[in-house]
Amino acid sequence: MAEYSLKSSSALSGYNHDFDGIKLRELTGLSILSIAVPLSGEAAAKTAIHTAFGIFMPEIGASTTSANLAMRLVRLGVDQLFLLGQSSDAKPAQLKGTVYTTDQSDVWIGLELSGPKARTALARICPIDLHPKVFAIDAAARTSMEHLGTIIIRTGNDAFVLLSASSSASSFLHAVELSIGNTS
Amino acid sequence: MIINHPLLGPRDAAEFVYLGDASLMERPDPQGPEAADNFHDYAYLRKNPAGEHRELWYHEQGDRSWLVVTRNTLTHEISKVELARDVAVTRRGGQ
Amino acid sequence: MSQVNRIKGGLIDTNRSLTFTFNGRKMQGHPGDTLASALLANGQRLVGRSFKYHRPRGIFTDGSHEPNALVELESGAHLEPNTRATTVELYDGLSARSQNHRGSLEHDLMAVTDLLSPFMAAGFYYKTFMWPKAFWEKLYEPMIRISAGLGSLSMKEDPDHYDKGFLHCDLLVIGAGPAGLAAALAAGHSGARVILADEDFRPGGRLSGETFVVDDIAGAEWTAQALTELAAMDNVHILTRTTIYGAYDHGVYGALERCTDHLAVKGDKPRQILWRIYSKRALLTAGATERPIAFGNNDRPGVMLAGAVRTYVNRFGVTPGREVALFTNNDDGWRTASDLAAKGVSISAIVDARDQAAPATIPGAQVFMGQSVVDTKGRKGLKSITLSGGHTIPTDCLAVSGGWNPNVHLTCHQRGRPDWHEGINAFVPGGALPPGMAVAGAANGTLTLGAALSEGHRAANAMTKDLGFNASRKPAPKAEDEAHECAAFWHVGASRARAWVDLQNDVTAKDIKQACVEGMASVELVKRYTTLGMATDQGKTSNITALAIMAEVNGKTIPETGTTIFRPPYTPVAMGALAGRARGKDFRPYRLTPSHQWAKANGATFVETGNWLRAQWFARPGEKGWRDSVDREVKMTRASVGICDVTTLGKIDIQGRDAAEFLNRIYTNAWLKLPVGKVRYGLMLREDGIAYDDGTTARLGENHYVMTTTTANAVLVFRRMEFARQCLWPDLDVHLISTTDGWAQYAVAGPNARALLAKLVDAPFDISNEAFPFMACAELSVCGGTKARLFRISFSGEMAYEIAVPTRFGNSLMEVLMEAGREFDAVPYGTEALGVMRIEKGHAAGNELNGQTTALNLGMAGFINKNKDCIGKVLSERPDMNRDDAIRLVGFKPVDHSQKLAAGAHFITKGDTANMANDQGWMSSVAFSPTFGHSIGLGFIKRGHQRTGEVVRAVNPARGSEVEVEITSPHFFDPDGGIQRG
Repeated sequence: MAEYSLKSSSALSGYNHDFDGIKLRELTGLSILSIAVPLSGEAAAKTAIHTAFGIFMPEIGASTTSANLAMRLVRLGVDQLFLLGQSSDAKPAQLKGTVYTTDQSDVWIGLELSGPKARTALARICPIDLHPKVFAIDAAARTSMEHLGTIIIRTGNDAFVLLSASSSASSFLHAVELSIGNTS
Repeated sequence: MIINHPLLGPRDAAEFVYLGDASLMERPDPQGPEAADNFHDYAYLRKNPAGEHRELWYHEQGDRSWLVVTRNTLTHEISKVELARDVAVTRRGGQ
Repeated sequence: MSQVNRIKGGLIDTNRSLTFTFNGRKMQGHPGDTLASALLANGQRLVGRSFKYHRPRGIFTDGSHEPNALVELESGAHLEPNTRATTVELYDGLSARSQNHRGSLEHDLMAVTDLLSPFMAAGFYYKTFMWPKAFWEKLYEPMIRISAGLGSLSMKEDPDHYDKGFLHCDLLVIGAGPAGLAAALAAGHSGARVILADEDFRPGGRLSGETFVVDDIAGAEWTAQALTELAAMDNVHILTRTTIYGAYDHGVYGALERCTDHLAVKGDKPRQILWRIYSKRALLTAGATERPIAFGNNDRPGVMLAGAVRTYVNRFGVTPGREVALFTNNDDGWRTASDLAAKGVSISAIVDARDQAAPATIPGAQVFMGQSVVDTKGRKGLKSITLSGGHTIPTDCLAVSGGWNPNVHLTCHQRGRPDWHEGINAFVPGGALPPGMAVAGAANGTLTLGAALSEGHRAANAMTKDLGFNASRKPAPKAEDEAHECAAFWHVGASRARAWVDLQNDVTAKDIKQACVEGMASVELVKRYTTLGMATDQGKTSNITALAIMAEVNGKTIPETGTTIFRPPYTPVAMGALAGRARGKDFRPYRLTPSHQWAKANGATFVETGNWLRAQWFARPGEKGWRDSVDREVKMTRASVGICDVTTLGKIDIQGRDAAEFLNRIYTNAWLKLPVGKVRYGLMLREDGIAYDDGTTARLGENHYVMTTTTANAVLVFRRMEFARQCLWPDLDVHLISTTDGWAQYAVAGPNARALLAKLVDAPFDISNEAFPFMACAELSVCGGTKARLFRISFSGEMAYEIAVPTRFGNSLMEVLMEAGREFDAVPYGTEALGVMRIEKGHAAGNELNGQTTALNLGMAGFINKNKDCIGKVLSERPDMNRDDAIRLVGFKPVDHSQKLAAGAHFITKGDTANMANDQGWMSSVAFSPTFGHSIGLGFIKRGHQRTGEVVRAVNPARGSEVEVEITSPHFFDPDGGIQRG
């Protein structure tokens, strides 16, 4: 037993708040594994990912989920994906060296925004068209909100996950809270 | 402005960072016989056309791809958007 | 005073009354009123003084084109100057004041300027205030500022808050008049996503102000039905009180929504929202603006546009006068007479400039065909008009109609030039419209109702079809087309008194003629010479009349004379709305380091470095200033151990089969042989051979590296590397991702650094000097299983490590380090002590890597590997960048140790004059070194590496200081590096 131990603390201390028509909460314990597909290695990566996690490789701008919905694979670009889950879900070793992985869990904070007024609030900061017919369930986009790089994923009818940099988490939360306050 | 990203569709130009003339992709051969002159031109000389211009934009608040955008500098009309990587690969005669 | 001019009817709620004040006087109005209609209802004709001559002015229009009735709303910090009374929706408790007068509105002391007007014609400022030159700043300008200008600013911070937002649609319909409503209905039925925006609080456009019939019902009723139908459609978004103020590239439109301005109780929601609207198509249905006719003393309170008079009567149930006269050059103006007569308002005279048969008969009205109004009387309110035939007719309101100008403004925002349309004597949209935009209805020159409705309907169908929707099968709304014949009659030549063209900037017909005579040939010059059209209304009611006068003087047609085009914004937009949320602390986001909480609780003073807040120093009780704290932090670190949060340095994860080769091309030095578990310093150049950034890169695995960049360049280096991998060398298998925010990284420096870290590192990992020497790195675990990275690198020159743990453990790691470090007197240090120690050690930082210096200048020529290419290599070899007398980075210390050094000082050889010709270089960084007890500096000086021991002068003319300094090695501290390797 070591003399010292380190305590984990989330950037937003587990923020969880109900507004009129919107729920906003920090996704604590989120694990994010970035997957880079090697040059000319997409076919092998596809197979390895499916074998390891049972998830199909999504199109760019979309995400796919595992059968039990515990893991979500988001395709951010030609050769970059994020595997989202709870800590310890995804082990890079399972991919058997077909891809390059980087732990991104602490780079980002996740916020889940849900409820009938979520779109109206997001329209104050999100330049992406979130109309249900345009931004379908499982759609994902990387953009900027209030000068902060943000990945937005539609996870349900009126539910969105927002990922933004952990160092600016408090500014980001403020931007989202203000958007909710200004619209509800 | 809106840039119609070849993979992501129309995105606000605010998500992008502008670099300049797409000739910046054509880095000279450092071993070539006139490397010094060629690098001088590469580093300092740019076309500045009033009209169609091929230029580099970086989707920094997006998928991090570099794009070659053909834009009319007089009207801002964008007639073509390509992934710079594809352009670079083609230029090198495929891969 | 009660509402003496209130008459029956109108689209207002007379069951409720609203109380407001004007210049402190209590008045009443009703919901649905504007401030202007309520003032008129209360008989208030005089509402302000003009810009230049302080002429009494009244309400001239019924909308956003108002040039006269500008008022100050509210008071204190909420004061809003130059608000058009014609667009202010009345609310209970509103308080308004007239502006631009000294003393009362009725007895303006500045009205004397009007008597001086013969001396203040066009170009007056240019001609008069030229000499003597010195008078401008001291006398002329202050004088002009007092006498001219409009409302006053509160000089207080805007207490309201504003927001921004993004909207998307297939079709944006700009203006909810008849054409806009018909278009929105058609587009709505097609299933397209529609935004219908209107600046008014009541959509309907002219349908609200006229007595039109649409689909066999009253126009206002039809409007209400159309809005109900539109509101029920999921795909239609109606924005009222929203001005589309600008047409930008690629279908982007700027819109300003006024959310709370009309509310008595404003609440806590944003006052206004600035929307960015992304549209696939846009239909401009912005209607038309009536133009006046210029004649003598045409600016008196009571002279109004004829259409506005109809609006006040029909929409607001207010008659602007008891004995109304009409002056027109067109059929449309006659409807003012018939509408007023129908409401029982007395018509004293109808004056029609056209010499033809009267188009209608109005009971009780004298008709003067082929005549015009040459002059008026009534200083603070119209009393009578004099006609060209000599008649003088008593009247308290003169309705003037000179025809209608299509609102082409937004079609010009991308340099589209309107075309002249002979049929209506007006400019219509022409040239290249903003891509994706079409125009319908009056804005397109289609000035009659039936035609406007069907044009709006047709245009929407064409656009939605073009977008792949099935066009609406419903028929267009039906209405009759009213008579609208209009003569090209612009101003009354027979008038001897001043005829006002631009009411807001006080420009007369004579001013325009004079400008032409003095050689201002183009309309752009006339504008600037006379200030015509340059007020906040951008000449909405004056530009065309001025052009017509110019054409007349120059003997040309109007299209030959030219036209001015418009730029955004269509109407003024408050600076607060443009700023949105970006004010005060919300100006930009902040980035916090992982130990921020700990630092805040432990006396840190923070400094902004980019978006980061970093601990600058940690003050302890008894310390009198920052220097005390910084000196202590340096001394304690060098004596035992110090800890500094260096998370802000950029970290880039680099992986791929070709990662080493990639680094080899990015950095000047060689990378192919760096073993796993080792760190190497790297220098990057720009392609022009100038030093760009530096840092260390660690090899964590066969194909896995982690690079650090300077804090300032983290984003830029990443961008450049993406450029290199995608655009220059797409054949390399290399992948980049930033991990800056993922790792809390702390420098642990000083003789006891190893002993301290040994208490945290889990067994069996060995960090002894033998097992883990200088420039080693490893992935390991600390504190019983937390994954960590350890780097044996030193920026301070001490025996030092950088330890990194996942960010979530960062604050805890700082606590643990301080706890475990207690036995060593461990000290946290901030960016100041970091800076002092790096200067003592002679490391280059931002002040040295300043975009002007080469590797040679920095003393790092040896870092450019001769046997390979890298970015910047070829041009770094240019002879002029490698001259013998090139500047070199060296150290400097004052000869007199008590003297302080100043960064920015330039070096001059002793005995030389301190001028540019003798400049030897400059001091880039200075600090007081607590280690050596005196000031030290780093700087660049010619041939510095060969001049050790020489004394030169560090001259700083900006501060008037000069210090003799001795050239030394830049490495004041531990020059042979034995300590950091120890």
